[in-house]
Amino acid sequence: MAKKFLTLFMLCCLCMGGLSDAFALDQANSKARQVVDKFQEELIDVMKNGKKLGYSGRYDKLKESVTNSHDLGKIARIVVGKEWEKLPEPQQQQLSEVFSKLSIASYAHNFKDYSGETFTFDNEEETTRGGIVIHTILNIPDDKPVKFDYMLKQNGDNWRIINIIANGVSDLALKRSEYTSILQREGFDALIAKINEKIDNYSKQ
Amino acid sequence: MNRFVNFLRQYHARHNFAWIGFWLILGLGGCATTQNTAANKVDPYENYNRKVYSFNDKVDDYVAKPIADAYKAITPDFMETGVSNFFNNLKTVNVVLNDVLQAKFEQGGRDTGRLLMNTTLGMAGLFDVAKTVGLEQNDEDFEQTLAVWGVPQGTYIVLPLLGPITTRGIPGAVFDTAANPVNYVGAPIQAISLINSRANAEGALKFIDEAALDPYVFTRESFLQWRNHLATDGKADSTSDDLLDIDVDSPGSNQKTGINSSTTAGEKNSPLPSTTNNSEAKNLANKNTLKILPPDLPDTEKVPTGKMLRDTKKQ
Repeated sequence: MAKKFLTLFMLCCLCMGGLSDAFALDQANSKARQVVDKFQEELIDVMKNGKKLGYSGRYDKLKESVTNSHDLGKIARIVVGKEWEKLPEPQQQQLSEVFSKLSIASYAHNFKDYSGETFTFDNEEETTRGGIVIHTILNIPDDKPVKFDYMLKQNGDNWRIINIIANGVSDLALKRSEYTSILQREGFDALIAKINEKIDNYSKQ
Repeated sequence: MNRFVNFLRQYHARHNFAWIGFWLILGLGGCATTQNTAANKVDPYENYNRKVYSFNDKVDDYVAKPIADAYKAITPDFMETGVSNFFNNLKTVNVVLNDVLQAKFEQGGRDTGRLLMNTTLGMAGLFDVAKTVGLEQNDEDFEQTLAVWGVPQGTYIVLPLLGPITTRGIPGAVFDTAANPVNYVGAPIQAISLINSRANAEGALKFIDEAALDPYVFTRESFLQWRNHLATDGKADSTSDDLLDIDVDSPGSNQKTGINSSTTAGEKNSPLPSTTNNSEAKNLANKNTLKILPPDLPDTEKVPTGKMLRDTKKQ
């Protein structure tokens, strides 16, 4: 009898353990999804008011949205790959700063108007290294929908976007190839100059 | 709205730009055997490719773009749309052929319906009436068919006038050219087709100019990723190895995970690496193989997938 009870108790413990794991996973998914939902809402809002806000208005609004939803520091580090370790700290800092500016400027430049677009959640998945991918669809009136997949990783208690894959094209992989190529071919100063030139161009258009 | 989205849509149009140079390219094929000074496995001829890319860019600036701009300026929007629809409809013949070759019979049926509807009710394809009844255009070509058959992607090459292609894409382009009725109706129609392709690619090319720090690398990466997206029917996007491998939490993790910064997305991002059997990889991708077990286990021991976990949770 005691043996049966012990077995039952152990089974209960295992079930509870499994349930708590599933609960923790659900919580993580929920938090990650909230980050993406909020960012997309803010992005659509900026698009709706795009013309009224102008470039600088869009930049200011998106600065907060992007900073609160993306892990720009980690992205900056990933896009230069192993070159990061070779850079002295002041250069790492400089790269992080200009990269953040470019990311926000790019959003402010490309998401400037609205014609009825909406984002809808599709599903979510966990990745090998503890990340979460939130699959969403951008619906465009009279046009084919576009898949937007957001990959998030945990930074402390917060989930942050580290990559966006639009219709199969990974922004992180694209940038990583570009940045490492420029660093290797032309050096750090050239990379910073090119990033600043893009920021400047975005602000003028 | 989002210009990046337009870029994705229009990008492949450039690929169609100048098949007329194909035989010229074959003649210049020897150039592709220049010495390999680049570390990139997918792009071993980077130095040669960069020169051709630069040449193509100049041809585009001085010849193709002015012609396309003039075409857009003198053609009313409705006519431009009609011309695009007409050539897209002709391409559907090739789409249907490749549907069948890839054993996508249901999709092939829909595409056949689309072709018949647009050719008849849509007045020889000038109007896309099939879209209004929910028959969206599918994007299939012979390179995708070869990928499904397990032909490796091969190396990345930039061909004069033709633009980016992979070695698998060369027979693909030959087949697609032969299967497109536009190539049997005479030079003037072919010329309009080319101008139309370039005009449609305008947004994509402008996006590259605006966004790319290194336009050559930007073009290569987006081309290879886009082709993989098509070859896997979009089923392998975020399950890519590159995303799973990137982890900078611990110093030196790049070396640990074996990521070489000079490898391209076609390799590190693709579920269909050139060195593996593509049909096998595609099957894996279709099974939604997003592994969730701890990263320290060998690959062979990571059995449950993200999908399985979700299913388990639902039960």
